[in-house]
Amino acid sequence: MTPTPEQIAAFADDQLDGEERDAVATAIAADPALQRQVEAHRALSAKLSAHFAPLMDRELPETLTAPLEPREAEVVDFDAARERKETRRTIPRWGWIAGPALAASLALAVVLPRGGSDDAPGALSGELASALDSQLSATQRADADTRILLSFANAEGDYCRAFTAPEVSGIACREADGWQLERLATGSEAGASEYRQAGSDVSDILAAAQEMARGGGLDAEAEAAARAKGWRD
Amino acid sequence: MLEILPRLRRFATGLAGHPSDGDDLCQMTVERALANRAKWQEGTRLDSWMYRIMRNIWIDETRSRARRGQTFVDPDAGERVGGEGGQEARVELNNIDRAMQKLPDDQREAVLLVMVEGYAYKEAAEIVGCPVGTLNSRLVRGRDALMQMIGDAA
Repeated sequence: MTPTPEQIAAFADDQLDGEERDAVATAIAADPALQRQVEAHRALSAKLSAHFAPLMDRELPETLTAPLEPREAEVVDFDAARERKETRRTIPRWGWIAGPALAASLALAVVLPRGGSDDAPGALSGELASALDSQLSATQRADADTRILLSFANAEGDYCRAFTAPEVSGIACREADGWQLERLATGSEAGASEYRQAGSDVSDILAAAQEMARGGGLDAEAEAAARAKGWRD
Repeated sequence: MLEILPRLRRFATGLAGHPSDGDDLCQMTVERALANRAKWQEGTRLDSWMYRIMRNIWIDETRSRARRGQTFVDPDAGERVGGEGGQEARVELNNIDRAMQKLPDDQREAVLLVMVEGYAYKEAAEIVGCPVGTLNSRLVRGRDALMQMIGDAA
């Protein structure tokens, strides 16, 4: 037989068995040109493995490991108290929301947004409002300017979203006329002396969100459904 | 999941061709896997499932970036790599990386899954969602192209 290029590659990768393997092995044994092809395949495999192997030894960044690490005790308690029967199911949800958020809190500068004079105090607009409208915590990019930490419904049944952005970090709830800032983290890393120094704005925000959340955070599906309704019930 | 993260990250870097794009891809994969963990069937291989999620995200990303007219980091811009990703992202782009980036996506993922990640053809075909024969021939075409680009003197 004359082996096909596919068979030669599969033979080199040890992916053939039974009669096919024997037949290909016999053909290769009889033909030095085929032997060279097998050797070339194996050499290429070795070269690629050697080239990619060092990538395994890189230290894992926190952005990748944080979602997989055990969540904060405080969050566990909240969950356990709110939805005891669902504890098991909600573990990953809180874990992956809180993990990266806490990691991101390190260098967060927070200022109060000043809307135009026509805006009601605390009304949000622009990029932040559109991020609140559109972004889902399950699918947002790790390096997004605005990150949603948690979406939930408050005691009035309004949808609220805890978020962190380069200039502001807090909780906004969707009122009839738009997103209304409910809580604001205060704190700044960059030596802005007029702001209180607060090391963990994001965990403060999350703690506040937990106080306000009626039934725990929304999971990915509920969040997507809420967005589909325009964050209005 | 933590155990397979280094491998997953290696595959992401190979697909994206750039360490920080790879880490973004890896993070999206982890988040999507966690959000969908109820869909993973106990007793099946977690790693294969996550590789499948990753390559699906990658395909979506590639399409949407193409629509927006954006490109990834230029494969020939080896000397600039590391500037944006910090020191740990400093992985030298050499002729192998450049050759890999010139492969069509379907061939590149076949090469990565089998020759780098060490999957059997059958497992790799399941991850990609194609027949084993198709995977085998993509692999052959990818290998031939690589050998031409980086030379047979491997």
